[in-house]
Amino acid sequence: MEGKAELAAGMVVQPNAGTKANSRTGWREVVRSGSSFLRGCLAGATAVAAVTLVAFRLHLNLSASGSLYFLIVVMVSVVWGFREASVTSLIAVSCLNYFFIPPILAWSIADPQNWVALAAFEVAALSVSRLSTRMQHQAKGEARQRTQAEKLYELSRRILFLDRGQTTGPQIVPLIREIFGAESVALFDATLARADSTGSGADELEQLARNAYLRDTTLVGDDACTWAHVLRLGAKPAGGIALRGPHLGRLTIVPVASLAAIALERARSFEKENRAEAARRTEQLRTAVLDGLAHAFKTPLTAILTASSGLLEGGDLSEGDRELAALIDEQAEHLNSLATELLQMARIDAREVSLHRERVSVLGLIEDILAVHRERLHGRRVEVSESASGLEIDGDRGILATALGQIVDNAARYSTPGSAITITAEENGGEVIVAMHNEGPPIRPSDRERIFERFYRAEEWRQRAPGTGLGLSIVKKAAEAHGGRTWVVSEERAGTTFFFALPSGTRRQPDAVARQGPDR
Amino acid sequence: MPSHGKVLIVDDDSSIRRALRNTLHGMGFVVDDAATGEAALQLVREAPYDAVLLDISMPGMGGIRACREMRKSVPRLEILMLTVCDSEDDKVAALDAGADDYITKPFHVRELAARIRAAVRRSTGSQADPEAVIRIGNIELDPARRLVRKAGEPVHVTPKEFELLHYLMAHAGLPVTHVRLLRAVWGPEYGSELDYLRTFVRQLRKKLEEDPASPAYLLTDSHIGYRFAEGKTGPAGEVDR
Repeated sequence: MEGKAELAAGMVVQPNAGTKANSRTGWREVVRSGSSFLRGCLAGATAVAAVTLVAFRLHLNLSASGSLYFLIVVMVSVVWGFREASVTSLIAVSCLNYFFIPPILAWSIADPQNWVALAAFEVAALSVSRLSTRMQHQAKGEARQRTQAEKLYELSRRILFLDRGQTTGPQIVPLIREIFGAESVALFDATLARADSTGSGADELEQLARNAYLRDTTLVGDDACTWAHVLRLGAKPAGGIALRGPHLGRLTIVPVASLAAIALERARSFEKENRAEAARRTEQLRTAVLDGLAHAFKTPLTAILTASSGLLEGGDLSEGDRELAALIDEQAEHLNSLATELLQMARIDAREVSLHRERVSVLGLIEDILAVHRERLHGRRVEVSESASGLEIDGDRGILATALGQIVDNAARYSTPGSAITITAEENGGEVIVAMHNEGPPIRPSDRERIFERFYRAEEWRQRAPGTGLGLSIVKKAAEAHGGRTWVVSEERAGTTFFFALPSGTRRQPDAVARQGPDR
Repeated sequence: MPSHGKVLIVDDDSSIRRALRNTLHGMGFVVDDAATGEAALQLVREAPYDAVLLDISMPGMGGIRACREMRKSVPRLEILMLTVCDSEDDKVAALDAGADDYITKPFHVRELAARIRAAVRRSTGSQADPEAVIRIGNIELDPARRLVRKAGEPVHVTPKEFELLHYLMAHAGLPVTHVRLLRAVWGPEYGSELDYLRTFVRQLRKKLEEDPASPAYLLTDSHIGYRFAEGKTGPAGEVDR
């Protein structure tokens, strides 16, 4: 626990390449390269001493010994670096002066030309050292970058082979650890609220990944070996990743975070695709089961109705038998409408996943419905207002016909016999509203909401006409499936009006229509 | 009891066959039955029938294929398709395959008997003269003089309206699919122009019907097409819904 608190306190938020952390790194580098500096200088001095001894014994002249010293300085700069080479060059200049520039074995210089030679030697040695060191640095940097790019490429390649059916976190965490040689890695997926980690000190690292997500930034540890970065999908933070290990830095954590985010995104889109596919399959299955059920129900019902109506048509039944046959006929008919409406309800449920939307002419729809329900209207006059012509709605024709058909059926059942039914349609406030008005006893205020509930039937309606209690719930379901609504206004004198309103699609952009379709 | 005609029942369900056989027999029809399309095909090739009741969904070759094959073997056979409600596409497919009419399960025997009687009438009646005047209810259409009368009064109709009305009246009592109607009147390249049809039918209803909103002659077969009512039996649209 203590360690965790310490770590959390020691984390530095890095808006840019951090200065504080870098200065620490710089200090550490001084300490680390300190021993190496001494070693370099010592090696340079030893080499210079050896050359001096040999050259002095062999009585080499100034230019020959100068060339040998120059060689040593360049080698030191190649092996150790510029600072070591500078120290070596100063020692070499001293030796040149003392052993090879007249007066020999004295610090003084007689000929001013030798001052020039000495200065030229020093300048040339320093310049060449500087140049070689710089080239070496550059080569090292390039090699580092190449390795980094290779590692990132490796990671991105292996992300492609992740099992999309499995959670991404547990798969990608060991992958990053392996490729980047990190001590430990943690990944926090905000959408799944799940953290995965591998290596030592996993808990702390997971906490760190979570913090990077919460603060939407980069975090770096005091030791500069622990880094955390937010994962973004588009502009939105979607999680965090934390790495601990040597040779890590901003140049590693940022691209690794991007790749991890891509992996998460990939998994998400796959999951979404999967869900849509599963929904589609469920719908197909349901439709298949429903069709099977329809057939299974309708077949025995057909046999029963044929037999009962056949008996009634036969005409040679006693009054009592006729009554019984009529009862069978009536109840089989009721069972049939119950089955039909249950199927309609289930079909709307199934199609909510994907309505088969098309442009539907309101007038055409009303004409179709009246044609289907003509017999049930028992000669009631139906007036359709002119305002319906030219109006179109965007919806599933089958479901809309079922819904409006239920309202017509309802009007036929409960309106005063012989009275007219008026149908109007208009566009108002972004909605196309179809209203069906009939005369008859009003619906009680307490029932006006409840009649749209499944299987609810108002008390006085029960006595008035047979019904299943499903019709109006189908209407409500159909309206809601289209993003619309249905309601009733009922008064003693004015009669009853059912309203069916759908969002008007006339001004909608085609892409908006498409988008609305499958999402529902 | 004199025979009202010879009928073949084709349904894979034995209880439906039993119920239909007994009921139709009681109503004076001579009845045969078959459980599959294949068996039915064999029967219609061997003996003449006035009408066939053909279930649309059966194992084996199925109702639609059986219908097509029967139409090929016996061109003038009257075929009545038995369909299940909510399968408008099946009904259209059956009519396109050559069925003359359809009836939705479950049905009432009275309705079925009326359809069978109409089919028997068509089957035993002589081939109509294409130029003969057609009279249904108070509507009269004279193809030779291109005249339409309502209750004796001439009604002005456009040439396309006349052709549409002529086609429907020539097939009175039978459902005519949108596609068939469009192709017969407008030409073979048509088929999906439902709006055309709606507009023309609406115009005709205004000219011929007492109450265009509740037509008595020009009936809509929802999702399928149109049907001109048969004079005597009254409106014969869909019954079971």
